[in-house]
Amino acid sequence: MSLLPSSVEQIVGQQGDLTGFLVQITWLGFFVLYMFYGQRLQVKIMLREIEGYLFRLKLIRDQGRSIAISSIKEIGKPTDDPTVRVDRILEHVDIPPVDLDPSGIIRRLEHIIDVREFRFKDEVRLMVPGADETQINNLANVLEVALDLNQIYKFVRHLYLMGKKTSSFYVILQLQMILPQVMKESEAFASALRASTLGQPIGDGVGALVAARLMYGREERMISQDVVVGEVPIEGRMAYVLKAKGPGGNVGKPGEAVRQILEEREGKIERIIVIDAAQKWEGEKAGEVIEGTGVAIGGPGVDKYKVEEIATKYKVPINAILIKESIADIVSTMRKEVLNSVEDVLVRIRRIVLETTKEGDHIIIAGIGNTMGIAQ
Amino acid sequence: MEKTPPPEKRLPFFLIAVISVLLILSFISLYQAVETYKRTGSPDFMTVVLSLSAITLSSYMFLQMRRKPLKLGFEMPKVFTLIQCSSCDFKNIRDFEKGDYILKATGACPKCSGSSFISSIYREVEEKEE
Repeated sequence: MSLLPSSVEQIVGQQGDLTGFLVQITWLGFFVLYMFYGQRLQVKIMLREIEGYLFRLKLIRDQGRSIAISSIKEIGKPTDDPTVRVDRILEHVDIPPVDLDPSGIIRRLEHIIDVREFRFKDEVRLMVPGADETQINNLANVLEVALDLNQIYKFVRHLYLMGKKTSSFYVILQLQMILPQVMKESEAFASALRASTLGQPIGDGVGALVAARLMYGREERMISQDVVVGEVPIEGRMAYVLKAKGPGGNVGKPGEAVRQILEEREGKIERIIVIDAAQKWEGEKAGEVIEGTGVAIGGPGVDKYKVEEIATKYKVPINAILIKESIADIVSTMRKEVLNSVEDVLVRIRRIVLETTKEGDHIIIAGIGNTMGIAQ
Repeated sequence: MEKTPPPEKRLPFFLIAVISVLLILSFISLYQAVETYKRTGSPDFMTVVLSLSAITLSSYMFLQMRRKPLKLGFEMPKVFTLIQCSSCDFKNIRDFEKGDYILKATGACPKCSGSSFISSIYREVEEKEE
């Protein structure tokens, strides 16, 4: 006679397979447990994964900070320890202008950017009094990158702790979704830091390199803050070639330079050609050159606005030549494929000049980007 | 510049515990299979194969977890400097040195005594990085 109640016997089966019964009960237990605690379990697993990323971000941030401090110590040989000052800079925040009343926002934004840049360079001058202009610009770039790494780390940590505190699946899910891209960018900034400490040309400087090749051996003059211009004859036309003043890390104010040239010539410019690095999409090759219409100037938009404004005023057509690069290539030492694209860009410039202007015309060729490691 | 040692990977203790348990159970299972064969004379191939697979998998996972340096992006790539003469076809590629920049004058050309300069600075990327 069976000792099991009749209902259990039904489940177990006529043969009284106790093992099967136990397996079924265990499965049922797991199912019920997962139904109630599944999401919590998933949150725990996701938080553990994010912890790993956060640990790496902290390492990158700390190493970036120590590279910045050691670079300042090496170049400036300061008597005081620059650590406190560097730590203060790494916590620096920019407050964007109010956009409730958008009128004049570009002018206000430009002012804030100018003040920030001046403050950064001034801080470097105070820490490294004997440094030349190139070293000051490069060290300012190093501090900028270290600051970015600190901001990224703190932002991710904020989301992680918020997700952990609230156990919110959706906060954690969003963070987990963006983390691979954040890691990619952080690693790119890390390699940018290395390039900045050594003053190596970076991928972003390819536009400036094209301008430098055109200007080589010509007289140049300062046209606006940190921007030089040279007059280069191309196929019987006169080109005003401009780039940021190198070889220190600098982007200058190309928008202001274009505006000044157009005002100087009272709008008698037949074409503006802007050359800049552009972020490539997955599947595209690094160093691929494409053409477009419009102002190819990245950043906060001040220079882009200025060129658009003045070009519209005088009805000057604008051509863009873009060199495709990944975000990592843009901020790290220039890779060979990108360097090789310079010849292609020069050929395209000549073609555009021949096709769209006539002999005796005046044009502007603006090489945009950080000119670190590139003179003129 | 100060050289900082590369940071090391954190050890996942929970995973180590799980793999250790798996390894111990696999060895017990293998031992039992051997004992059964000794007693009965009929080999249990399935248990042996499963135990050996579990041992191989656990060992592989242990090897993967070895403390190796984390790649954070600070690794220095190989960077080259190309020096060219402005008068003749002289070209020379050397390793990048601190203070190099594009269009820097590098003195007289060893071939024609013309002026040479740095025409490019670049890094080469292996295709697997793509």
